[in-house]
Amino acid sequence: MAEKNKKVLQKKLSPEAYHELETVVGKRWISDKRSLVETYSKLSIEGMTFVRKHQKDETILPACVVLPETTEQVQQIVKICNHHKIPFFPFTNGQVFSCPTDDQPTLVLHMSRMNKVIRIDTDNMAATLQAYVDYAQLQAEAMKHGLWNGGTPLATSLCKLSSQFSFAGLWQTDLKYGLLNRNLVSVKMVLPDGKILETSSRCLPNAGDFWEYGPGPDLMGLQRGGAGSNGIVTEITVKLHPWTGGTSLPDVPHGRPSLVDVHDPRYDSPDPPQNHKLFWIEFEDFKTQIKTMREISHSGIAIGLNATGVYSAYYCSQTQEMTWERCRNRFFPAYNCYVILAGTTSKEQLVYEEKVLRRIVDRNGGRFLSENYKPEVLEALKPWNLDCIRHTSGYRMNRKMYASAWLPTGPFEVGVQTQNFWSDALNAFGECDITDRGGADDTPFLYALQRGRFSFAEVDNYPDPTDPAEIQKAAGYGIYGMARLVKEKVCPCLMAFLSVEPFTTMFPEIGKNQHLLFRKIRKVFDPKGVNAPGRQVYTEQEWKAVPPPLKGLVNKMREMVGLNAVE
Amino acid sequence: MSDQKPESEKKFFEKTLEDYRDQVWGCARCNWCQNQWGWNVKNAQYSEVCPAFHEYRFFPYSGMGKMHIARALLEGDFDLEDVPELAEFIYTCTTCGACEMNCQRMQDKEPLKVNETLRALLVKSGKGPMPDHKKLISSVKSYDNPWMQPRTQRSRWARKINIKDAKKENCDTLFFVGCTTALDPTMAAVAQSTAEVLLRAGVDLGTLGKDELCCGSPIARIGDRDTFIALAKRNIERLNSLGISEIVTSCPGCYRAIRYDYAEIPGVPEINFKVYHSVEYIDRLIREERLLFNNEVPLKATWHDPCHLGRHCGIYEAPRNILKAIPGIEFMEKERIKDQSWCCGGGGGARTAFLDFAQVTAEKLIEEVKSTTDAEAIVTCCPFCEQNIGDALSRTEDPMGLIDLMTLVKKSLTS
Repeated sequence: MAEKNKKVLQKKLSPEAYHELETVVGKRWISDKRSLVETYSKLSIEGMTFVRKHQKDETILPACVVLPETTEQVQQIVKICNHHKIPFFPFTNGQVFSCPTDDQPTLVLHMSRMNKVIRIDTDNMAATLQAYVDYAQLQAEAMKHGLWNGGTPLATSLCKLSSQFSFAGLWQTDLKYGLLNRNLVSVKMVLPDGKILETSSRCLPNAGDFWEYGPGPDLMGLQRGGAGSNGIVTEITVKLHPWTGGTSLPDVPHGRPSLVDVHDPRYDSPDPPQNHKLFWIEFEDFKTQIKTMREISHSGIAIGLNATGVYSAYYCSQTQEMTWERCRNRFFPAYNCYVILAGTTSKEQLVYEEKVLRRIVDRNGGRFLSENYKPEVLEALKPWNLDCIRHTSGYRMNRKMYASAWLPTGPFEVGVQTQNFWSDALNAFGECDITDRGGADDTPFLYALQRGRFSFAEVDNYPDPTDPAEIQKAAGYGIYGMARLVKEKVCPCLMAFLSVEPFTTMFPEIGKNQHLLFRKIRKVFDPKGVNAPGRQVYTEQEWKAVPPPLKGLVNKMREMVGLNAVE
Repeated sequence: MSDQKPESEKKFFEKTLEDYRDQVWGCARCNWCQNQWGWNVKNAQYSEVCPAFHEYRFFPYSGMGKMHIARALLEGDFDLEDVPELAEFIYTCTTCGACEMNCQRMQDKEPLKVNETLRALLVKSGKGPMPDHKKLISSVKSYDNPWMQPRTQRSRWARKINIKDAKKENCDTLFFVGCTTALDPTMAAVAQSTAEVLLRAGVDLGTLGKDELCCGSPIARIGDRDTFIALAKRNIERLNSLGISEIVTSCPGCYRAIRYDYAEIPGVPEINFKVYHSVEYIDRLIREERLLFNNEVPLKATWHDPCHLGRHCGIYEAPRNILKAIPGIEFMEKERIKDQSWCCGGGGGARTAFLDFAQVTAEKLIEEVKSTTDAEAIVTCCPFCEQNIGDALSRTEDPMGLIDLMTLVKKSLTS
């Protein structure tokens, strides 16, 4: 750990570059003040930036922050950065991947002024949004018209759709609607060299937003999963779907909290939206859970099907004490799933689908939570009634730092392997504050995707953010998981369809050698190497500059699982 | 001695930044300090709740930003001397508590308290508060009110009302008027209406008149803890000596200070009376049928939840009950209400030091009322809200009405 009270000094842009940027956005929308840049330098769930904060690493401080208002301003800023060779990083809320990692003065483009819902096209069921629009905003506007986007990530206002585009965009309703990245129509983006790209049918002015590919090779596909390394999205058009749940979400019957009684669980007990029902099912063991989830997902019913296991101990607990107590007492079923039914076509659809669901569950020996069976658990799970549509309580995971997640994806059985590997990791490294070994003794968080074709699993751990040793241990879990998944050939990546460094280069088994192809792509789109350098893939030069301790850590994990070290 | 106490046992006004170390390291960047609780969003343009972030768009203006700044200060990443801009970020905040509301509910963390502790640090180190705040503090020290008004002016509003002098006559209930209500001539009607309504209901009411002291709330919010604590001690001693059983105040700032803030000062006696805001008191009188409304007051009205009454202290339903009980009132809600209410912009010292920001915030409130309701008037019960919203309406010559709830109550009572 660095010496306490050692100052962390900020680099500065050249006066010339600063002046040019100021000319683009205006004096009010640019700043290089020390306390301001601090607020753009520590990410939320990326453990290594916490470690680097403890180490007082100056390279994660940007030199300057600029707030563009339009695509054209973004373009001008990017061109200035290319001219002056200033690495730049697009920023929405700063959860992951935004942190500057360069030794040179860097620029953050904070998209906070680009927060308008541009258009809800009800005839063609599409919505066009600026970069900073979040899911709550989109849903609020679309629901007025009997439409919605089809899903929610675990943190509605946290996630801006343009950023989630860099990932896959996981939703509670992936079963039917299948990820944000399956619901895109087009994007407008500024490429790393300052050209503006409009994809899909938008490439022809006035042609409208209807077709999501081409023309020719799918350039939008090159951006999906790109971690924002191939340009800055300034507008995004997404598909909309019929919504029968009302023009807004229902109010919680008990009313609203205040600072005096904020932790009263009755404020977290909404009813589901009209024409929607949630069912919670408990299983004896993991095998039965997976079998039943597979059957439900293949049956054609339901819009969402997910297993939450012990994770509800966070989302559905109003304090950390409640979380710990519920983990200790194994309050929530170890093996479970919840099913979201929607009466999209009619009320009869709900009745029919419930019959089908009950038949499947009964056949497999599952048990519904009800007023006659574990009603107290069912009551505690009530936040999900609205969270399944517009997730709000999910970030309670971050009461303790939500630092290291495994996000393997594949057939449902990937959940079993996740459990096994997680147990091995805990035995190898010991535990952080990880609730009650979620993912080892319980079901991992398990999403059913795309009508049961595959699933996505997640296990997390929660180190003490003030303890760098514990954070490094948590980071070790993450890298171990990646190594194990690659060694056992379970699935191609750890990060929900996304590859970022150091994993991209240090796991050449994936692709094979996909990092070499990514380098070529990066050179085409980003010849000066200024757009979020080193985020998705290192150049050869950047790879040489990676600190030996980081290479050493990853190689150590590789060797632990029987993979050779990477030079 | 207080540094040795566990953080959990310390009262707020003895806490330092060190007591928030775990919290500031653990800020999740979840954005709920800036945004309306997700379930409640009905319009994209009203999805945000932090007036400062909404206006300035840089993160240091948000609760999250304050947490990160506090972390850096704690770790010595920079000193106060390195960041002369810091006071502007810290004081461009109305202390509305929307950030803490959602952060407490989500993360069990306290960004507003972190900000107020940062303010205390700035004041203690001479880097704060803002210049205009210093005038306010000086006024309180010299005149026992922040308006630089002589003490004798406090009782001007009551000249034509027969009300007991609580220092000289026994009374059960003290009407704690508050500095702004007592001294701002535009608020005199509020004080008069409140007193008349309570007297009409048979309440054994008295006031302190010119001997009322500032509750200290503006001083506490600005971060001058020493001045606030000294004032609080004087108030507690004076009020405890009166032999009253309860206080009723029409100012949410006074209500919060006396009812909650005083209890967060270490080593002071407890207050020996109950504390009510006028709206909860009137609501009870109505339910007890001690007040009867017979006069129609035809008006399409919406309620603005003052932050210190609603979000901070949980009084949401009482004013709504009153409005719904007054015949002729057609009550309608705007989008951001109760715990998610959009601040008027008038609190936390923001209006004193950053009037433009305060006014822009009020304008956004007015715009929200107009676009989400058919209301003819905004009804509220806070002198700071009424000053700031009133100024915004005057500045733009907006026909939207702004009415104190007590005025409506008085209007509707049986003659």
